[in-house]
Amino acid sequence: MSTSSVDEIPDQSKDLFTQDGVLLKNCVGRPVTDLNSIGMLCIVQNADGTKCVEWRPNDLITIDSDTQDQEWAVVNTVGRRQRTLSGNMTSDYATLRARIIKIPLEELKTFKVTRNNQQMQFSTKQGVWQTTFYFQHGNAEIFVAYLKNHVKTAKTRHDRNTYVVVEPNVESQVLNRSFAELDIFTENTTDVVWNLVSNFKQRPYETTLEAFSKLTDIVYYGNEGLNGKRDVSEEVADLLTKSMSAMEDATTITKNEEYEVVSVKPTLPPRPCIPRGTPLSTEKWDALQDKDGRITEVEGVKQLIFRGGVAHSIRQSVWKHLLDYYPWQMSHSEIRAHQKKKTEEYFSMKLQWRSMTEGQESRFSEYRDRKSLVEKDVNRTDRTHPFYAGDNNPNLVVLQDILMTYVMYNFDLGYVQGMSDILAPLLLLLGNEVDSFWCFVGFMEKIASNFDMDQAGMKHQLLQLQQLLMFASPDLAQHLAQKDSGNMYFCFRWLLVWFKREFSHIDIMRLWEVLWTGLPCANFHLLICVAILDAEKDVLISKDYGFTEILKHVNDLSMSLDVDRILSTAEGIYHQIVSAPHLNDQIRIILGMEPLNMANSAHSGNSDRQEAGTSRTQTNGNETRTNGNEHTGPFGQDIDEVMYQIGLDMNF
Amino acid sequence: MAKTYDYLFKLLLIGDSGVGKTSILFRFSEDAFNISFISTIGIDFKIRTIDLDGKKVKLQIWDTAGQERFRTITTAYYRGSMGIMLVYDVTNEKSFENIKNWIRNIEENASADVEKMILGNKCDLDSKRQVSKERGEQLAIEYQIKFVETSAKDSLNVEYAFYTLARDIKAKMEKKQEASNPPGGRSGAHQLKANEPQRKPTSWLSRCSVL
Ligand SMILES: Nc1nc2c(ncn2[C@@H]2O[C@H](COP(=O)(O)OP(=O)(O)OP(=O)(O)O)[C@@H](O)[C@H]2O)c(=O)[nH]1
Ligand SMILES: [Mg+2]
Repeated sequence: MSTSSVDEIPDQSKDLFTQDGVLLKNCVGRPVTDLNSIGMLCIVQNADGTKCVEWRPNDLITIDSDTQDQEWAVVNTVGRRQRTLSGNMTSDYATLRARIIKIPLEELKTFKVTRNNQQMQFSTKQGVWQTTFYFQHGNAEIFVAYLKNHVKTAKTRHDRNTYVVVEPNVESQVLNRSFAELDIFTENTTDVVWNLVSNFKQRPYETTLEAFSKLTDIVYYGNEGLNGKRDVSEEVADLLTKSMSAMEDATTITKNEEYEVVSVKPTLPPRPCIPRGTPLSTEKWDALQDKDGRITEVEGVKQLIFRGGVAHSIRQSVWKHLLDYYPWQMSHSEIRAHQKKKTEEYFSMKLQWRSMTEGQESRFSEYRDRKSLVEKDVNRTDRTHPFYAGDNNPNLVVLQDILMTYVMYNFDLGYVQGMSDILAPLLLLLGNEVDSFWCFVGFMEKIASNFDMDQAGMKHQLLQLQQLLMFASPDLAQHLAQKDSGNMYFCFRWLLVWFKREFSHIDIMRLWEVLWTGLPCANFHLLICVAILDAEKDVLISKDYGFTEILKHVNDLSMSLDVDRILSTAEGIYHQIVSAPHLNDQIRIILGMEPLNMANSAHSGNSDRQEAGTSRTQTNGNETRTNGNEHTGPFGQDIDEVMYQIGLDMNF
Repeated sequence: MAKTYDYLFKLLLIGDSGVGKTSILFRFSEDAFNISFISTIGIDFKIRTIDLDGKKVKLQIWDTAGQERFRTITTAYYRGSMGIMLVYDVTNEKSFENIKNWIRNIEENASADVEKMILGNKCDLDSKRQVSKERGEQLAIEYQIKFVETSAKDSLNVEYAFYTLARDIKAKMEKKQEASNPPGGRSGAHQLKANEPQRKPTSWLSRCSVL
């Protein structure tokens, strides 16, 4: 156990799990004044990859803001906000930092849970409990579950509440161990491996893909009470050899020695149930602005919105900020000037197409085509909503005008189906042509790649979704792959218009404002997909739904989804993923986290082979490079090709 | 368990955005028309079982988005379709001209022997007509494809169109079967009994068998 000082804390350390409301009851060598203070107990990964259990007093948390990673902030919204509000470093800083307690996992010998699971004690020396924590909210169960992902433990025979650490820092060691040494085989291993082999022959791409996920996700779970290593049975070894040669036979695979087949299914830590918060209220919103109307606490505001959305009464103003129409830091008077400028800009663009004569139009087919596309869609947009219902509804004209002006604003993109769906709720809420236009521009900015000419952006997201699902819900991902649905095309509508067709008007406002915050990670909308699919997992698998039934089932979920439940599930899944010991760079990159293996992601060997969306797609080669020198595995190919092969080429 | 159908046909509706594909399908599957339909994003399908010369034929009809941009996604669903409806809008010249492109698109993405039919929809809108019936017929002759003008709104020729396409597929299939199967033998690959136990899918046909 060590007491840390400021310079000992590497800045890139990362909280893998945090538990709030943990009281320091006892700590050998600490002054009594430090005891009984409230803080946060964390599992931290240091910059060098080692991990430790760390306790931070709350008063430190309120000062130390920027050295910490974003993620834990979700757990402690209020604390975080206060932190940045107070901002300045005080001279007490170092003293406070010294109060942090760090227990490197390498040194951890035993821990035990007592007092109705509310008390947890740690020991780095045989026979002495150096630190004792008391869990004020709830109990230590979840913390222990997470901790057990990082150290291999065994329960002692005489005391069921005491865990002996058999091996610290599990997964980093696993990677260095050869397959045969791994003590990962369960009873039905033979089946699993055999399935892999036979599947491989029939469906090389899918199987490789699955195998890949297993390889890259190698995880070693501490099997409690299991000491000595079990030998891999001869039979299994034999099968394995066969599977290797099956891989060798396939032209797409080279360097097979690089691949280790691991049949254990990596499981995620338990899913925390994170309740939704209350919507950002008028009072809070007012309080967040200074006397001139500037908002400086942008991150804090976003946190609040992420937690609970926005009260309907203030949506009009909050949305303009969220969609980058009004810059957060502008004062009321600056906003008035800004608005005036933007209004003029809008009308000058509108004039450009309004002043087009019939003659001009007749000789401008590209313009004509776009205009008629817009017309057709406007007439089919939310017509059941009273705001857009009925013949000659003037709001339809406004929709049309905004979309036509957008064509002038971004002629290269023009009008693509789906845009009217994106705009309709904005106009409905804002009721004003100019505001709706600029908010629409802001929204489009976030999702422009959905409308790529070659659909590279959509395909890329579908692939990322597949990868996330494989990580978060591997059973389902495998079922889908087996049913020729691994390309996730059945989620196309969800992604294209950000679930607009799946929720009521009220619910879509909530979902969108939460997603606009960009919290808690990049591509959270993909985790929304994972959350929805995960809830349907049992139906899809138990009924053995195939290609068509999967599509039908997913399409029919429309309007029957509970937005709050889904948001909460998606956030839970996010925490599961980021605290999973087998979290890999592929997933980290999707979620916008720094890849651990920088060297591998910095250069992308296959990016020049991809025709479209190079910058976005370059990350897909990572896993291949991590495991082998040649990137000829499924991720090394052109995305199109992969999408095609994993889902569609098989068994048609 | 009773047999619920003798055949399962996968059909596909394609054509420019707004020509009325979804409306035609809605008319055929629900016998209704809705002026304020929503545009199709992605893909969906509907089912209707019809009676054809004493056989129960289950039609699984796929409806795709018309806009060109989505074609890379929608063409993925062409595979395995046995019949395709090419739809244009008689009040929209461009949609008619595009039929040629759609035919090329089919040639590239669907099986060579897929049955086709051209539909000139919205024929109720005579005052706005841009494409005469004769031009439609001419095009059909050129490609040797059956043709009919329809109105999803007035329920004109929609039933006829689907029955005709299904009958052509059935005839073609039975002819193939006779050629490859000795009379009295077990049914061929295309015939599917609904009560057959689920097998490992080998074609879309068996995969759809529980629907
Ligand atoms: N008068 C008339 N209008 C029709 C007819 N069929 C469709 N429409 C109208 O044409 C518009 C487009 O119809 P849809 O069925 O949505 O067109 P679609 O081909 O499915 O279009 P996408 O989904 O965008 O590819 C709708 O407003 C329909 O009401 C018809 O037979 N007569
Ligand atoms: Mg449609």
